[in-house]
Amino acid sequence: MTTLAPKPAPSPTTSAQKAGAVLRAVNVRKTYQLGRTSVPVLRGVDFQVRHGEFVAILGASGSGKSTLLHLLGGLDSVDRSDDQPPTSILFEDIDLARISAGRLDNYRRRRVGFVFQFYHLLPELNILQNVVIAAMTAMGSFEYWRTKSAIRDRAAELLERVGLKERLSHKPAELSGGERQRVAIARALINQPDLLLADEPTGNLDRATGGSILDLFSDLHRRGQTMVVVTHDEHTAARADRVVRLVDGKVQG
Amino acid sequence: MYQLLLTKRYLSSKIMPLLAALAVALCTAMVIIVWSVMGGFLVMLINSGRTLVGDVSISWPVTGFAHYEDLIKRLEADPEIAGATPMIETYGLIGLPDGRTETVQVRGIDGPSFAKVTEWNDILYWRPKDAPDPKDTGSSDMRLRRKEVWQQIYEGGKKLTRLERSKAHPEGIDRPGVVPGISVSGFNFREKWGFFPGTPYIRTREGDKTPAEMLMLPVDGYVTLNVLPMDSKGRAIEMVARKFPVANEFHSGLYEIDHRTVFVQLGALQDMLKMNRAQRVKEGTGGVVRKGDREEFAAPVVIGEEPARVTNILVRGKRDTFDPKDADKLAERCRQIYGAFAEAHPNEVPDLLSIRIQTWADLNQTMISAVKKETALVLFIFSFVSLTAVFLVLAIFWAMVSEKTRDIGILRAVGASRSGVAGLWLLYGAAIGITGSALGFALAYLIVSNINGIHEWLGERLGLYIWDPRIYYFSRIPSDLQASNVAIVLAGGVVASCLGALIPAARAARMHPVRALRFE
Ligand SMILES: Nc1ncnc2c1ncn2[C@@H]1O[C@H](COP(=O)(O)OP(=O)(O)O)[C@@H](O)[C@H]1O
Ligand SMILES: [Mg+2]
Repeated sequence: MTTLAPKPAPSPTTSAQKAGAVLRAVNVRKTYQLGRTSVPVLRGVDFQVRHGEFVAILGASGSGKSTLLHLLGGLDSVDRSDDQPPTSILFEDIDLARISAGRLDNYRRRRVGFVFQFYHLLPELNILQNVVIAAMTAMGSFEYWRTKSAIRDRAAELLERVGLKERLSHKPAELSGGERQRVAIARALINQPDLLLADEPTGNLDRATGGSILDLFSDLHRRGQTMVVVTHDEHTAARADRVVRLVDGKVQG
Repeated sequence: MYQLLLTKRYLSSKIMPLLAALAVALCTAMVIIVWSVMGGFLVMLINSGRTLVGDVSISWPVTGFAHYEDLIKRLEADPEIAGATPMIETYGLIGLPDGRTETVQVRGIDGPSFAKVTEWNDILYWRPKDAPDPKDTGSSDMRLRRKEVWQQIYEGGKKLTRLERSKAHPEGIDRPGVVPGISVSGFNFREKWGFFPGTPYIRTREGDKTPAEMLMLPVDGYVTLNVLPMDSKGRAIEMVARKFPVANEFHSGLYEIDHRTVFVQLGALQDMLKMNRAQRVKEGTGGVVRKGDREEFAAPVVIGEEPARVTNILVRGKRDTFDPKDADKLAERCRQIYGAFAEAHPNEVPDLLSIRIQTWADLNQTMISAVKKETALVLFIFSFVSLTAVFLVLAIFWAMVSEKTRDIGILRAVGASRSGVAGLWLLYGAAIGITGSALGFALAYLIVSNINGIHEWLGERLGLYIWDPRIYYFSRIPSDLQASNVAIVLAGGVVASCLGALIPAARAARMHPVRALRFE
């Protein structure tokens, strides 16, 4: 039985892991409908991410990188049509297009963590709460009350790890861009995701700040975190184990 | 769980939804106030309706009926009946010391037994008072001083007599007196906070407000009572006038009654109305007759006796009859007793089919049912008006959902489900509703418990008198804050807010996460 619910501590060996692939994009197509005209953004993207791997997806602005990342994270769904070759995104061999909305919510809660270019923190919450809230969505109220202090400790620890130990009760508005992105990274890690998805995490930061954020990613990667980072910047991509180039809606080469 | 956290944050950081809460508060406060005042009005009406009529009235108006002592004996023998008292109800004119004449309702009563059936002893106004009215800061109330005088007047009021000393009777004798309503004479100057301190003055005819001459009616005032007697066939005889000392005055709180009713000792009124015990004489006998060259007075030939009559018997049950159904049961008992009574006096008293037996609720029916209908109508209108709160919450939440689109996308990205997002907005709506309702209750409680003070203030400062005792019967605005009614209104406030949040919540739930995230 395959479940996306509670994460097994050391995952039992699946066929995907034997092959080493956590995530597989198979002939991924995505078309946007703009009035009467349809705009194909992804025209059959194929690639895979192995366990523990750091993959960079490199592409020009507007090439569909964000679109692809949203699909990988289960925030959007691929094109569905019968007269085209099958298109799917497989996480540990499970087709995201074929699972229920509830399980897809679970997938986002426990299996993936998102980091966005514009940080996307909740402005009313302080940074500790911004991290904790991602854990809260993953559990019922009873479970939360039982593990409340453990979760807060873990969130504080993560924030300490990204260098924000002293700022727990600050609001996002009181933080610089780089600091906000660190909060976003801590939030993405709170549920110990199998897969970290980052959409131009340094796109909005100056070179030095961006560099320190990338150091954080490299550090995470060293500790075994599987991750996909989307970027239009060669320097950023250079940090990855492998670079996937997105050109004209397809993987180049 | 995260819904609770966000709701708390949103509540303390957003102004708009607090406006929605304020709207909910105003609406709930409005409905609670209306319900309390109308409800209090009804309770007061019902209680006042009972203050002076007891539970059941047996009546044969105008001419009255005889042998009532027997009926009272029969009624009082019943285990369900606490007491019964005779009364005569008629209309008359009262001549006041300043020369004015007013039309009044005249009621002849027997004080001690009337007190067993009604609240007579409680509504007598002139009596010793131990502590001043809380608003009477200067202790201007005359009843606080010379207690023995007031005690004597109080005792006189109970019996409807006044102790009068003369050369012939230096120790004083009790003369039959009248007890007019406190507002009948127009001499009792009333403090704006509702009591009569007892510094009366005679109004001069030119409308000059300066007191011309101090006169304390129950101490040394007299009034003239004019009534129209009828014979037993209901034909008017000649107007009868008699001067009475004022024994006391009463204050029932029911303006109509305090303004227009005069109580008088039953025996005296029977006398005036020729309803007392009398000998029936042969027509043409008696009077001055010529005997030779002398004129002589001859006694009439007595052929029978006419017993005394009254128009009403008022009955009080042993059990409380606030519920009209209990009053109906008591009335049914009275009907049975009257049936036996009528059989015992064939052709001398009205038969069972003709006699009028009414409960206090029957007597006040038009008034009570009118107020009940009015309450229902006003509540309906106000509740309907309160629906605006639903739309206000809807509009504000709609705007807030738009403003928070990005946050919704973020929440979905970290794993919130559609229903979770909908739940957030519903919870928020409920929180607004609870806040608003609590605020509304506090506001309503403050206003209802100070309604008379607020009314006075409005009257003094702005000349705004909403509650005119002439129209509303009562001199004070009543209120009756019922916990169950409050609970209904507060629950309504919460439900209305949730209802208003429903559509925005559905909209938030249906948002596409990616479109929400990309929202600028
Ligand atoms: N909701 C949408 N409707 C129509 N076109 C869209 C929509 N979202 C994105 N696009 C288009 O899809 C293309 C790819 O966008 P995106 O994935 O954001 O590119 P990138 O992240 O590589 O800059 C762009 O041309 C963009 O205008
Ligand atoms: Mg992009």
